[in-house]
Amino acid sequence: MMRGAPGLGNGASDRAGTLRGGRFAFQPMAEFPSAMGPRTGTCLVVGASSGIGLALARRLALSGRKVAMLARRERELAAQAATTNDVLGRQAAFAFAHDAADLDAVESLFARIEQDLGPVDEVHFVAGVMPDVAIDEFDLGKDRLQVQVNMLGCIAWGNAAARRFLARKSGCFVGVSSVAGDRGRVGRPVYNASKAGMDCYLEALRNRLWRHGVQVTTIRPGFVETPMTAGLKLKGAIPADKAAELILRVRDRRKAVAYVPGKWRLIMTVIKLIPSFLFRRLSI
Amino acid sequence: MTDTKATGAAALSWRDEDVRGFGMAVGGRAQVLRPTTAEQVAAAFADARARGKPIALRGAGCSYGDAATNDGGLVLDLSRMNRLLDFDPATGVAVCEPGVTVRDLWRRSVAHGFWPRVVSGTMAVSMGGAAAMNIHGKNNFALGSFGECVRSFELLTPRGELVRCTRASDPDLFHAAIGGFGMLGCMTQLEIETKRVHSGRLRVSAIVAKDLEHNLQILEDMRGEADYLVSWLDLHARGAGLGRGLMHRADHLEPGEDPEGLRFLDPALQDVPPNLFGVVPKGWLWPGMWCAVHAGQVGLVNWLKFQAGFAEARKSPYLQTHGAFHFLLDYVPRWQWMTKPGGLIQFQPFVPAAAGARVLRTVIEKSQAAGHVPYLGVLKRHRPDPFLMTHAVDGYSLAMDFAVSARKAQRESLWRLCRELAEVVLAAGGRFYYAKDAVLLASSFPRVHGEPAVAAFRAQKAKWDPDRLLQTDLSRRLDV
Repeated sequence: MMRGAPGLGNGASDRAGTLRGGRFAFQPMAEFPSAMGPRTGTCLVVGASSGIGLALARRLALSGRKVAMLARRERELAAQAATTNDVLGRQAAFAFAHDAADLDAVESLFARIEQDLGPVDEVHFVAGVMPDVAIDEFDLGKDRLQVQVNMLGCIAWGNAAARRFLARKSGCFVGVSSVAGDRGRVGRPVYNASKAGMDCYLEALRNRLWRHGVQVTTIRPGFVETPMTAGLKLKGAIPADKAAELILRVRDRRKAVAYVPGKWRLIMTVIKLIPSFLFRRLSI
Repeated sequence: MTDTKATGAAALSWRDEDVRGFGMAVGGRAQVLRPTTAEQVAAAFADARARGKPIALRGAGCSYGDAATNDGGLVLDLSRMNRLLDFDPATGVAVCEPGVTVRDLWRRSVAHGFWPRVVSGTMAVSMGGAAAMNIHGKNNFALGSFGECVRSFELLTPRGELVRCTRASDPDLFHAAIGGFGMLGCMTQLEIETKRVHSGRLRVSAIVAKDLEHNLQILEDMRGEADYLVSWLDLHARGAGLGRGLMHRADHLEPGEDPEGLRFLDPALQDVPPNLFGVVPKGWLWPGMWCAVHAGQVGLVNWLKFQAGFAEARKSPYLQTHGAFHFLLDYVPRWQWMTKPGGLIQFQPFVPAAAGARVLRTVIEKSQAAGHVPYLGVLKRHRPDPFLMTHAVDGYSLAMDFAVSARKAQRESLWRLCRELAEVVLAAGGRFYYAKDAVLLASSFPRVHGEPAVAAFRAQKAKWDPDRLLQTDLSRRLDV
């Protein structure tokens, strides 16, 4: 009943065609044609224990890459890396416990990962926090954490990657921001601000590195079914695996900024056009 | 303590509601309360005691019959005690409140590569209900019943004691409360084991079975190696094709066998498909099915489904997600409404293997002769389990869904038929399952389980609920 997602080249292979001798023969996915040539280096995913980060790490591992999975929750992360390797039947995922708020640890951890797994040519920054904030709450603790993880975390990993990618004149940095960064809204002021800051940083980083052959891609996801959004009842949310598929497609097309799924570009264009005096009176 | 209880009880807001079984054919008005904490459950017990009214426990309300109804009494609906308190991603052990559903559990576990060991045909079932009714799945012949994957539970007795119980701490209570249809106390917390899976998908094969004996033969041939076996039966077929159907076998995959299965660990990809044939929204299907039932065309629908089985058998084996394979009853939301206004009952005899072919054939023939042909039949293989009020046998079960007529004479003739069939089953040493039953008489209760088991269960009841506060329509019907 479930069909393979298009774009993975596996749609038809779900059927009996792949059955040989009672086992499912696995053909590695064909790489997308890419200006960068075949991707062979190690991938690094920050925020890989659940949601979009986990889905990305799984898809990268599935495509034959070595994946360094980073997340704060050590127990979850170790289990997810083990599960990934178990299902694949080979060692593709490697767990590194890391709190994205711990900015000073980034440089040495990056070096350690490259030492253990070889040069990293692709970094996905997907870590993010979105605490519940009451409409009349102004809690600096929660705000500081969001800026620390969502924005400064991205900057720390972006800088560490940029130094290396610049020296090698290649590499790809994907930052998962949010549609929430496009406007300041009443619900989560600092989530909006942290994502907007991250988004702006990514644009600047892209402009610095583009001329040196280094790709920086900003992803602005709309509604995605993840543990972070579990309590929100989002209408029309897409599976995290679908989001990961779209993100990797955007990566292959070397886009600068992409909404995931694409319809959010239209929605956010309209929302961005609403004048401020009107926007503050709306409940969106 | 007395103070908090008094205020707790005063704050309880019982609501007068029509409480029915899933089949809608039995039930009645009751005062319903939906607690969110164990303290509120204790307060509700105290309140029931003070008012001298019997109280029934209800989970997700998926029992077909009267196991969770209490005509004129009180009903404690536990569906809002639905927090999944912990899930260990390394071992797959979950700690749940009783209202956590099979859906809540698999959505959490599958993301970590675990699947509940025992699931029913619908994911709406609650953990508390699953343990109290000791439900089974399509792997009963291999892994046993739901109770066998329960590590421990906390039982709040009607007298307000909270007892933590494991197999070792109190084996008598453990094996009586699981499968004890909510007669001993309210499980306020359960520790459930899940099973490691090496893919988000199963390998599924469909096999056309030409008659009842062929079906049973396939079950016997495959039960040593298959992980799941279930057969859909076209009970409208007579003569040489009596008991024909479509067997589904599913197997777990080995590590590395289906690397793509990694993606399907995303819970959002496990849900049953939202549309049938890619276009028809499922919510629109039950009126069409209602027409088939009320125009007497169920035989035609069954014939079409059987014919479609040949095409499915040709493309077998294929890969299917766990969710899509297991939760067939969730493909069509509110499907039970097709039997409105009379509702439906399910009659599910469990028959020892030696007498299986003879008894099941008799049961099908008698129901056809009486003019009450089940619109759905499901055949499964079982094995015994260690629980006191078990329904399991080393043999087969045939679940038969009967639409109930709104006309009184027709309804009574269906009940007469089921009791006549029950005689045949009991005479052969068969058993019944209280999540389904709506027709057994008090005289049958000791015959299902044997006098010693019934005496032991009554002793447990007297020990934990001496005032018989916990009652349901089922327990009164069986004179438990």
